Amino acid sequence: MIKIKNLTATVNDGQQTILNGLSLEVPAGEVHAIMGPNGAGKSTLSYVLTGKDGYDVTDGSVDYLGQDLLAMEPEERASAGLFLSFQYPLEIPGVPTMHFLRTALNAQRKSRGEDIMAAPEFLKKARAIAADLKIKPDMLKRPLNVGFSGGEKKRMEIFQMMMLEPKFIIMDETDSGLDVDALRIVADGVNALRAPDRGMLIITHYQRLLDYIVPDRVHVLSDGKIVASGDADFAKLLEKEGYDKYAA
Amino acid sequence: MTNMPHNALIEQLPHRRMEAWKWTDVRGAAVSEPQGLSAACNPTIAAPSGIDISTEGVAPSESVMGKLAVTFAHNATVITVPAGFKSDAPVLLSDMKSGHARLIFKIGKGAEISVTETHESGAASFVNIDMRFDLAQGAKLSRTIFHNDCADMTRISTAQINAWADAEITQHTLSFGGGLTRFETRIASLGENLKAEIHGAYLLNDKRHCDMTSYIDLGAQSAHIRQSVKGVVAGKARGVFQGKFHVRSPAQFTDAEMRHDAMMLSDTCQIRAKPELEIYADDVACAHGNTVGALDESALFYMRQRGIPLRQARALLTEAFVAEAFDGMADNSDFMSRITDWLEQNS
Repeated sequence: MIKIKNLTATVNDGQQTILNGLSLEVPAGEVHAIMGPNGAGKSTLSYVLTGKDGYDVTDGSVDYLGQDLLAMEPEERASAGLFLSFQYPLEIPGVPTMHFLRTALNAQRKSRGEDIMAAPEFLKKARAIAADLKIKPDMLKRPLNVGFSGGEKKRMEIFQMMMLEPKFIIMDETDSGLDVDALRIVADGVNALRAPDRGMLIITHYQRLLDYIVPDRVHVLSDGKIVASGDADFAKLLEKEGYDKYAA
Repeated sequence: MTNMPHNALIEQLPHRRMEAWKWTDVRGAAVSEPQGLSAACNPTIAAPSGIDISTEGVAPSESVMGKLAVTFAHNATVITVPAGFKSDAPVLLSDMKSGHARLIFKIGKGAEISVTETHESGAASFVNIDMRFDLAQGAKLSRTIFHNDCADMTRISTAQINAWADAEITQHTLSFGGGLTRFETRIASLGENLKAEIHGAYLLNDKRHCDMTSYIDLGAQSAHIRQSVKGVVAGKARGVFQGKFHVRSPAQFTDAEMRHDAMMLSDTCQIRAKPELEIYADDVACAHGNTVGALDESALFYMRQRGIPLRQARALLTEAFVAEAFDGMADNSDFMSRITDWLEQNS
């Protein structure tokens, strides 16, 4: 589904290399986890894949469903089904959550040549998903993420993800800021989205989230590349032994 | 019509060497002898029944543009709102397209009136509207001002609002600018408990210019003032904000806040801002804030990651920024749809 080959990315006009020949393939229907120490390049990978400014891709390629992902604008990648659950979701002052999300959903649909979703259908869907995620209806009327707690913001990311029904999901430290109950609610939401035509990349420091969302493969990212891979049990081993032996 | 040699007339116009006009050079704009510079303007006034409209010889206002208005408009149109008057229908002011006009609103004790002003012209001209509002005790005035001129229009509109005790003033101004534009609001509190909400926004493209200037002169105690002006400037346009709270020594317990926040959408636009507080009373709460910035790049990326195209993301963020100025309006739908249209063209 997504094939990353020898991806190399720099910041500060090439002075600093963050991704250093990273190769990774996530087939449709699989959930892969990326673990690694601070500064390994985990968040950079999520930003380069989604097209944030400020990173220069100096080598490598990313094939996403047969398309050259790196040649697409961020909104084109989103419309093609790529979704990033942000480590630090942004506050959007003055734009009510529901208005934001309906604008996003219909922009994606329009870009794919689909009909826009009418307000009643949208509201019905939003109410049902909000109830599943235990999001209070009044939060949906407030400006997106403004004044929300860290946990509420993370839950709102999952809400958006379930509304937009993306094809490939990147979750960047989604578990940080969540208490055990919220973690279970979020994981239930994510697991409900597991499907044969959908792929997921879960970026996390800790193995905790992987108890709830069990991955098919676990990779260690260190110094900008994948240095080791294994199955779900490999995460438990990493938690026990630490990342030191994989450090460059 | 008064005949005055062009040079003598030009000499009377405010210019950039005057501190209050340093960013809005009326003299410079009038050198080409624009139409209307030495003519009278007769605005169309539609008022609900019970309001009297007459023409009277009234002493000129103190301001430089006010004096000029007398020279060409002579008498003032006086709109008298009787004590205790109430109506859902506003006074509508329009057709202020060329020349000088003098308008005086006398609003009686306890009367409540809305005034909707449309300052709009599609042909180049010079307009000078000199207004005065006298609010008797407990009177309530709500002004809604819409402005959109062609790019080579010069327009100065000045309102002096004199408020006796317990008066309330609400003002919302939306301007898309013109060649050279200034909306000046001057409020004087003559009695205690003045409540004033003075809000506005300017959205400017090309080489348009809009100046929102205000001078709030507080001479009595317990005034409550809230002012928020939002600016969005693109192209080579220029936005000007000058705001002053002058709190005189009897004006104890004044509670006044002034904000001007502007967003620059291009590298070539300009914002000039001068917020001022001058305070002689010792038991007051006064604040002013002024920010100038650009759209938040991180927020834009977040929106694009959700599939919202860049132009639409910019428009959505900018609209939310401007909308705050009109949150308090009973019905802001007309203003908001005009803002949305503008942003669709200019984001």
